[in-house]
Amino acid sequence: MDVIPSFRHSVIPSFRHFVTSSFPYSVTCGLMQHYRNFCIIAHIDHGKSTLADRLLERTGRVTAREMTMNQILDDNPLEQERGITIKLHAIQMDYLSPSGEKYKLNLIDTPGHVDFSYEVSRSLSACEGALLVVDATQGVEAQTISNLFMALEQGLEIIPVINKIDLPSAVTTIDNVKKQVMDLIGCKEEEMILASAKAGIGIDEILEAVVARIPPPKGDPKAPLRALIYDSIFDAYRGVVVNVRVFDGTLKEKDKILFMNTNQTYELDEVGVLYMQRQRTGILEAGNVGYFTAAIRRLQDSKVGDTVTLANNPTDRPIEGFREVKPMVFSGIYPAESDDFEDLREALGKLTLNDSAISFEPESSTALGFGFRCGFLGLLHMEIVQERLEREFNQVIITTVPNVRYKVITTKNEVMWVDNPAQLPNPTMINEIQEPYIRAQIIAPSEYVGTIMKLCMERRGTMLGQTYLSADRVDMTFNMPLGEVVFDFYDKLKSSTRGYASLDYEYSDYERGELVLMDILLNGEPVDALSSIVHRQKAHEWGKKLCVKLKELIPRQMFEVAIQASIGSKVVARESISAIRKNVIAKCYGGDISRKRKLLEKQKEGKKRMKQVGRVEIPQEAFHAVLSLD
Amino acid sequence: MFGLYLHIPFCEKKCSYCDFYSLESTEHIDAFVNTLLTEIDLRSPVMPSGACPAEGRVEAHTSVFFGGGTPSLLSPEAMSRIITRLHERYTIAPDAEWTMECNPGTVTPERLAAYRTAGINRLSFGVQSFTASELTFLDRIHDADEAVAAMTMAREAGFDNVNMDLMFAVPGQTMETLSYNLSRMLQLAPDHISAYSLIYEHGTPLFARLKKGLITPTSEDIDAAMYALVITTLTDAGYEQYEVSNFARPGKQCKHNLTYWHGENYIALGPSAHGFIDTTRYWNHRSLTAWTTKVNAGELPEANRETLTNEELCTEYLFLTLRADGTPIAEFEQRFGVDLRSALQPDLGHWIDAGFVIDNGTTLRLTGEGYRVCDEITVKSIQFVDRVPSSLRSSG
Repeated sequence: MDVIPSFRHSVIPSFRHFVTSSFPYSVTCGLMQHYRNFCIIAHIDHGKSTLADRLLERTGRVTAREMTMNQILDDNPLEQERGITIKLHAIQMDYLSPSGEKYKLNLIDTPGHVDFSYEVSRSLSACEGALLVVDATQGVEAQTISNLFMALEQGLEIIPVINKIDLPSAVTTIDNVKKQVMDLIGCKEEEMILASAKAGIGIDEILEAVVARIPPPKGDPKAPLRALIYDSIFDAYRGVVVNVRVFDGTLKEKDKILFMNTNQTYELDEVGVLYMQRQRTGILEAGNVGYFTAAIRRLQDSKVGDTVTLANNPTDRPIEGFREVKPMVFSGIYPAESDDFEDLREALGKLTLNDSAISFEPESSTALGFGFRCGFLGLLHMEIVQERLEREFNQVIITTVPNVRYKVITTKNEVMWVDNPAQLPNPTMINEIQEPYIRAQIIAPSEYVGTIMKLCMERRGTMLGQTYLSADRVDMTFNMPLGEVVFDFYDKLKSSTRGYASLDYEYSDYERGELVLMDILLNGEPVDALSSIVHRQKAHEWGKKLCVKLKELIPRQMFEVAIQASIGSKVVARESISAIRKNVIAKCYGGDISRKRKLLEKQKEGKKRMKQVGRVEIPQEAFHAVLSLD
Repeated sequence: MFGLYLHIPFCEKKCSYCDFYSLESTEHIDAFVNTLLTEIDLRSPVMPSGACPAEGRVEAHTSVFFGGGTPSLLSPEAMSRIITRLHERYTIAPDAEWTMECNPGTVTPERLAAYRTAGINRLSFGVQSFTASELTFLDRIHDADEAVAAMTMAREAGFDNVNMDLMFAVPGQTMETLSYNLSRMLQLAPDHISAYSLIYEHGTPLFARLKKGLITPTSEDIDAAMYALVITTLTDAGYEQYEVSNFARPGKQCKHNLTYWHGENYIALGPSAHGFIDTTRYWNHRSLTAWTTKVNAGELPEANRETLTNEELCTEYLFLTLRADGTPIAEFEQRFGVDLRSALQPDLGHWIDAGFVIDNGTTLRLTGEGYRVCDEITVKSIQFVDRVPSSLRSSG
């Protein structure tokens, strides 16, 4: 944390008078009128993280030297690589306004992806205002709109910020973007702040707007405690660290608290605020944002959206909006080597300590052995979990094609939930199958309307409406089966619109579908991990494509391999992979042995990642084949 | 078995496909012989060099092999000096196999007789083909008639153990020319035939031509068909296939090569030569200059050596025996504490059903069909090495 002072002075001398790094923290000066709780709403790459960094720098929370390790809030390497926020962060800044007033600004970061929209809604609930950041060259995107609407519904004060105004191309686009924003939130042109987080333009205006336009929190420090959990993380030493916004009452160490939805009580160990690191204050009062620990071992006890109150003086008004987060997308995760099953179980267990949205249950597959059926909030969440397993826990895993959870009504009128296609009951026992639908919002330049309509229709979508945001920008809404979206829909959407379309969706309801189970057989043996549930009318085409793709992905073997797609006992498509004719190095004498051994060992490592069904060796990519069908 | 290999790194002309270390100038051949005599001393168990892995070993050598290069470029006198020195410094079994590689274009009846007298009892001729265009493609300096003549000379000189090399899958070769080459070779009735599918070895002129697109390599299907033709023709003619590329009349398997393939020990001398003693493999400097400098300074001319782990030993033993005359089940269990039959299930069952492998009760052995996909079977087979931690990893 220590820096060379002269360095900082020389870098940012002009706003030295704003910097209040020597401002001593004291809870007594924390009058509610001087708190501001806000978040930033922005699309990926529109500059949210850079703006956050700049605000931290300008308020002296981070130094110029620390700024060189870009983007402080996205501290997970995965977040930095993907340029998105996954875990929530919050940070408190001390701000001395030119008026002479001292403020405490709580910036609450929000996750940047549709998979985490519930978490977004909870962190918005913790704020009184939001910066709406829109890229001056890109305009408004779907996700920005849905998050903005969520913020408006919760009555947040919106401060529009047009970012990246220093980009040369902004000259031609900025007027249009300004108009989009004005139409969207009905603001006046002068209410928009023109900024460049990268170049440090407009930062002072933004800070002033935060204190001037965002109302201070309301609440009664004397009332029974009401605090909203907007995030919690697992710390190996202290247990769960719960991040809260206090609405009423006061959190004090040693208080006995109650989680109202999980009905768990704990005694508070440590209470504090969030600077760059956690800073213990012992107390957190109404209007403020901070953290507490209470020797909580299970993340599941402190659910996002739950209300924290005092066990002996509970509030009778729990904070609204809590819901149980349910996984929507499922996939099998198997150890590449069957011996590693227990390691994988342990890794998943550890992952759920800091990501309670994952569900996992043991399952077995004839092709893949013992593994887990895991549930995720969405596709991105799934990818993140898979990557974390590999990177943070060194697991070598095989993942199966994702699917949704189907609702099966049996002939006996019983309801069965099926999240693994291989477990679909025999068709004679099925009365109907229902699948989850989403309401998808797509925003794109109007020239792509036809392309997008075609793509969504192919995915069994129906259009619910379209609005023009401006002459050349359209907002379309579709009702679509989620099951069609989990197969590379987003990639297809992006590639067919040259990246211009943005997508957001919310889950709607289950609807009946003409769905059938399609099995894949290799040399006559069904490979359960390749089974999928598909729409009857698309089954033939789907089967054909899948067989062709598998032929491409499964290498030639010592034996001919027959690939078949079947529905029940009816084969709907077939392909075959011819056998290897010859594979042997002719010569192996004294000088060749070492080299040859190393070559064979290398090939062995390659084969290790293959799974064997009967005589057929299947590479891992094949279990994903469906995802890369054209 | 205990082998002894000597590398003679000189050729009149280098063949485009060959990646063995060899020089086209024979200018330094006399100096080379003297240095080789010194290395014989250095590696000898009866000399106090102190650094040789074979030190103190009194076991008799069962084979001596002069490879190259072209060992037949050595004069009979030089050969005689080397052989005499070997007898002085090593224990060599009276019935040892003494092989010398020869270019059919560089032999005369007198020279062959002199080599025989010096102690060589097995010859290996690099015949490769009886079709002129193929010999030209391979940069061979001899023609078909010289190959025939060389065989006659060898027999007249008293060699009753002669190998001929044959090459197939040579660009431009057809099933017809291969069939012709095979019948011409069989007319000469060699005791042993090494039949290789042409390999494009990295760093050879042939490889460079392939990369430049100047050569169309034989397709996998034709290569496989040619290999099948070789196997059936030679098997029908009474040769037994005892390795991927090697065929012998009964009792005429090359003892020296079996030393490699059975995981036995061998000492190696000369530039680039690789030796293997117990668990250690060493290899000499590749360049004649580096090798000479070291030896003349009284040091072992090793570029490096590696000690194999038990897993590596197991992998080598399995892949070498599989590509040769089969893996002896009892011996395997004795060496590595693993029951191979169960370690290879369920694949072994599939291979036996498909006719790739035969389990004759004592040995798992590839069939002709099995040799064709030998590397597939091998890679699959060696996988168990990682799966048997207990016995295998503790026995080392």
